[in-house]
Amino acid sequence: MHSYIRPSQYCVVQLPSDQLKIIQPVPNTIVQLGKYGSFAANQILGRPFYLTFEILDTPEPDGYGLRIVSATELHAETLIEEAEADGEGDDGEPGEEMPTRTNKGINDDNSAQRLTMEEIEELKKESGAAGRDIVAKIMESHSTIDQKTAFSLAKYTLRKRKKYIKRFTIIPLDVSTLANYMLAEKDAGRTLELRDEHIGLLGCFGNVHSAGSSNVEAIPDVTPNGRYIVVDDTGGLIVAAMAERMGILYPHDEDEEEDLPSSGDANQEQQVPAKPSRRQHIQGMSASGNTITVISAQAQANLSLLKYFGYDTNSPDETHPLHTHLKSLSWLQLVDPSRDPILSAEPPTLPDEELAEMKSNKRQAYYFKRNRYLKNKAVSDEARAGGFNGLIVGTLFEPSSVLKHAVPLLAGSSQVSIYSPNIEPLVELMDLYSVARRTAYINRKRDLESRAPVGGEADLSSLYEEFTLNPSLILSPSLHHTRVRPWQVLPGRTHPMMTGRGGAEGYLFHAIRVIPTEESVQAAGNFRKKRKLETTSTPASDKDVVMLS
Amino acid sequence: MPSPFLTPGTTAQPNDITLLHLRRDQALPTILRDYDEDNMGYKEGKVANTRFGSFPHSTMINRPWGSQIAASKVDTGSRGRRGNPAKRKADDLDESGATTTGAEEDTPSAKKPVAAASGFLHMMYPTPEAWTLSLPHRTQVVYAPDYSYILHRLRVRPGDTIIEAGAGSGSFTHAAVRAVFNGYPEEPQTKKQRLGKVCSFEFHEQRAGRVREEISEHGLDGLVQVTHRDVYQDAFNVGDPKTGPSPKANAIFLDLPAPWLALKHLVRKPESGESPLDPSTTTHICTFSPCLEQVERTIRTMRKLSWLNISMVEVQCRRIDVRRERIGLDATGIRGATVFPTTVEEAADKLWVDEQRAKVSRTAAKVKHGAEESNGEDDTFVLPESLREKPAAPSYSLGRLVHRSESDIKTHTSYLVFAMLPREWSEEDEQKCRQRYPSNKVEDPEESGKSKKQIKRELRAKFEQAEKAKKATEQQAPEGNVEAS
Repeated sequence: MHSYIRPSQYCVVQLPSDQLKIIQPVPNTIVQLGKYGSFAANQILGRPFYLTFEILDTPEPDGYGLRIVSATELHAETLIEEAEADGEGDDGEPGEEMPTRTNKGINDDNSAQRLTMEEIEELKKESGAAGRDIVAKIMESHSTIDQKTAFSLAKYTLRKRKKYIKRFTIIPLDVSTLANYMLAEKDAGRTLELRDEHIGLLGCFGNVHSAGSSNVEAIPDVTPNGRYIVVDDTGGLIVAAMAERMGILYPHDEDEEEDLPSSGDANQEQQVPAKPSRRQHIQGMSASGNTITVISAQAQANLSLLKYFGYDTNSPDETHPLHTHLKSLSWLQLVDPSRDPILSAEPPTLPDEELAEMKSNKRQAYYFKRNRYLKNKAVSDEARAGGFNGLIVGTLFEPSSVLKHAVPLLAGSSQVSIYSPNIEPLVELMDLYSVARRTAYINRKRDLESRAPVGGEADLSSLYEEFTLNPSLILSPSLHHTRVRPWQVLPGRTHPMMTGRGGAEGYLFHAIRVIPTEESVQAAGNFRKKRKLETTSTPASDKDVVMLS
Repeated sequence: MPSPFLTPGTTAQPNDITLLHLRRDQALPTILRDYDEDNMGYKEGKVANTRFGSFPHSTMINRPWGSQIAASKVDTGSRGRRGNPAKRKADDLDESGATTTGAEEDTPSAKKPVAAASGFLHMMYPTPEAWTLSLPHRTQVVYAPDYSYILHRLRVRPGDTIIEAGAGSGSFTHAAVRAVFNGYPEEPQTKKQRLGKVCSFEFHEQRAGRVREEISEHGLDGLVQVTHRDVYQDAFNVGDPKTGPSPKANAIFLDLPAPWLALKHLVRKPESGESPLDPSTTTHICTFSPCLEQVERTIRTMRKLSWLNISMVEVQCRRIDVRRERIGLDATGIRGATVFPTTVEEAADKLWVDEQRAKVSRTAAKVKHGAEESNGEDDTFVLPESLREKPAAPSYSLGRLVHRSESDIKTHTSYLVFAMLPREWSEEDEQKCRQRYPSNKVEDPEESGKSKKQIKRELRAKFEQAEKAKKATEQQAPEGNVEAS
C-alpha cells in the first residue's frame, strides 16, 4: 500500500515550515503548495514515499522540474559539524582552544542584516535565485554572523531555510499521519485531541488485532472472532486506527508485491479498479469475523475521515475491505429495535409474479428497501447476540451509559479500552467500579436473592436502580495517562524540545470483562494478614467479600 | 494449534496457556492440562495452587474464558507421603520409601473435584499486556505504554515482518506478533499474501532458549522465529548468518546496548551478502536505549547511513489511582478516613460545642460537690446544624472522589529513537517512472472532456513550444553570464 505513490491516492506533503498538507496527486494535474510553488503530480507518481524533493527553477529538458534531495545533503550541516567535532577531539591541544563565543556583541535589532526587505524580495523575483541561493546571500550579508554561537547560527540558518527553500517531502497518509495532521492543521477537538501515544495504547489495551485469515473457522473449537465494538466520536479516526491494526484499512493490499510495469499510459492508471458488475454485487457488512461494529448516536455514523483511506461511507467502494468488515448501527437499533423506523417496519416479501409485473423503478425501490431492512436486521441481531471480543470507546457520551449497554455484549476475558481527553468522566467511571461498590452490589444481590420466594425469581429492580452498572462484570479497572516528550538531538546540543502542544492531556481506561458465577462464592486468602479473619456466620460484612482486584 | 494469544475461541481448551488473575498487576500463568503433567500426585490431575485456594485444571477446561472459578478442596497434604523423589527435599528422601503405600501409587482416573467453602479466581486468556505483567523477568521489560507507541510509530501492520534484536524477556515479542499476525502458516492460504512474522534475535543462549520454549508453549511457532545470534557480528539473515535468506523486514526494533554496531547491517546494500530489509517498502526503525550517550551515538551513525526523519522521544506513562477521600468529624472509626472538620463553620461550631460541653460538665461537677446550687438554668444546648447526624448514605458514595498518580511511577524507561529508510531509488527506476508519468503532461481539469486526438495535438504543440522556449533560454544564458561578470 505504501511502497510507492499511487495515482489519486491521498498523501501528505510536509513543507519546510513543518506544515502538513493533504494532497491527492491526480495524474496530469498541478499540485499547488502556496508560497513554496507548485509541481506536476506526474513528477512524484510512482516514486517511493519519504523522499524529499526540491523544486527546480529551470526544469530538465523533458520537463521534469524536481530534484531528489539525498539524505547526505539533508544531514549535511550536522554531518560537517560532527566531523569537525571529531577533528577537534583528535588533535585539539588543550592550550589552543577556540575562544568560546557568546552573544555579547550582538544587538537585539535588525541592524546586523545588511540586506533590506526590498532587496530580499528582489532576490526572490530574480529568475535564477533558488531558495538555497537566497539563504546563502542572506547569511553572507549578515555582518555579525561570525559572532554567533554555533547554536544561534544553526537556529538562524534553519529559520531562513524554512522561509525560502522550496523543498517538500511526500508522506503516506496513514492513521498516525492523519492524527498529527488533525492535531496540527485542523480543529483538534474534532478528533478529541487523540495523539499517537493514545492511539497505540487504546488499540493495545483493547487487544485489537487481526483475526487471521477467514479459514480460522476451519479450526475446531475456534469460532470466528475478532469482532470489536467501536464507539467513535472522532469522525472515524478511531475506526481507522482499529481497522489499521486489523488489516482492513488499506485497499490495495493484494498488489503490494507487484512491480511497476515497464511501460503503459498514465491514463490507464486513472481508472479506479473496475467496479464489480451487479451480478457480483458484494453485500455490505457481511463479514463474520475480523469486523468492527460501530454504534453511533446518529442514524448514520459519522465516519467522514475514512474517505482519506479510500472509503466513502456514502458511496462505498465495494472492493474496499471496510465494505464488508465495517458494520454500523445506531444505539436505537441496538437498545430498542422495535422503535427503530427501519427495523420496526419490515417491508413485506412480494411473490415473484407480482414483482415481474411491477415497473422497474418500483421494483428497484422494493429491492432497496428489502435489502436495507435485511442488512440492518442482520447487523442488529448479530450485535444484540453479543460475544464481542473487545470494546473500544472514544466518545462524547457519558462513559457509564456506553458501558451499561456494551459490556454485557462482550465475551468473557475480552478487553474494554476507553479514551477520554479529560480525566473527570473516567474518574467517575472508576468510582462506579470501585471495590466498595462492587462489594455492596454483591451483598445486596445476595440479600435480595435470599429473600426471594421459594422457587420464584428474586425482584432485583431495586438493585438495578441503585447500581446503574453491574460492577461484577468488570475486573481490574485501571486509569492511565501517557505522554510522549520529544527531544532535539544535535551534536552537543541535546535537550528536550522547548515548546510543545498543550490542551487535552488524554487518559485511558482499561478493564477486563469477566463472567461471575451464578453460585455465591466467597473470597479466601490471606490478603489482609494483619487482621484476624472474621468468621461470622453472616458473610454480609464488607471486608469478607472483597473481590480480588 | 491456534494460539490463545491470537485466537482464543470462547472456551479454554487443554494445552492452552491461561492466566489466573491474582491481583491487578499479578496473574499466574499456567498451561491447562487434562492430565497430571509433572506427576505431582494430586488426585484431581494437574492443580494450580494459589493463596486463594487450589484450582484443579479439570474445573477450568471447557469453561468460557473470563469465568469466575470456585476453588476446590484438594488434598495437598497426603500426596507428600506418596514418595515422589523429584518433588521431595533431599533430607526427606529416606522417609518417603517407608510411607509409600501401593494403593496411593496409581489412581486409575482423576478424582472429581469437590468445591471448597471459599476462594475463587478469574481465568483469562492471555494478552500481551497481561503477559508483560506476569512473565518471568530475565531482563528489563518493555512495557505496554512503550511498545504500543513503538509499534504504532513503526507502522507495524498485519502481514509485516519485524526484526527484534534483544528478545530479552519476550514482552515486546508477544506484542509484535499480535501486531503482524494475519494468519497461521500451517493454514492453507486462499490468497497470495505475505504472512506476518517476527524475527527475534537474542545473543544470550539461555534466554534465547527460554523465549523459544515460551513461544512454543503459547502456540506461536511459525509466527516467531527465535535465533540465538550476536547481531553485531553476524547480522540479521535468518538461519545461517552467511547464506541464510533475508527476512525482508519492514520494521526493526533494537533493544541492544550498542545499537550503532548493528546498524551497519541494516542498510540497503550491506558489505556482506543480502540486505535484511524489504526492498519494496520503507523501513522503519526504533532503538530503545536508557542513556543519552547511546542515543547520540546511534543517531550519529543513522545520519551517516542515510536514515531520514530521525527523531527521539521518551514516553512518560503513569497509572492513576482513584479513590474516595473521607474527611469529616463524623468519619471516626473508618479506615483511611481523616477526622477533621470539612468547613470553617464546622470547626467554629465544634469549638463552640466543646466549650458548651465543658461548661455543662463544670457546672455538673460543681453541683455535685455542693459548691454551687443548681441555678435552674437549662444545661442542655441545641447542637448546631453542621454537627448533627446526617441521613445515612451508602458508604461507597461517601467522601470526595479524588485521583492521584500511583505511588511508584516509572519516571524513565528508555529513550526511543525513530528513523526511516526510504526504498532505494535508482536512476533507472526514475527513468521508468518518467516514461510512465510524462513529466510535462498536464491537463486542465476543465479540459478533461476533450477527445484523445485533441489532447495529443495540444500536447505536441505544448512540447514544441517548450522546446522553443528552451532554445531561447539557452541562447540567453551566455548573455546573462556576461552581464553577471
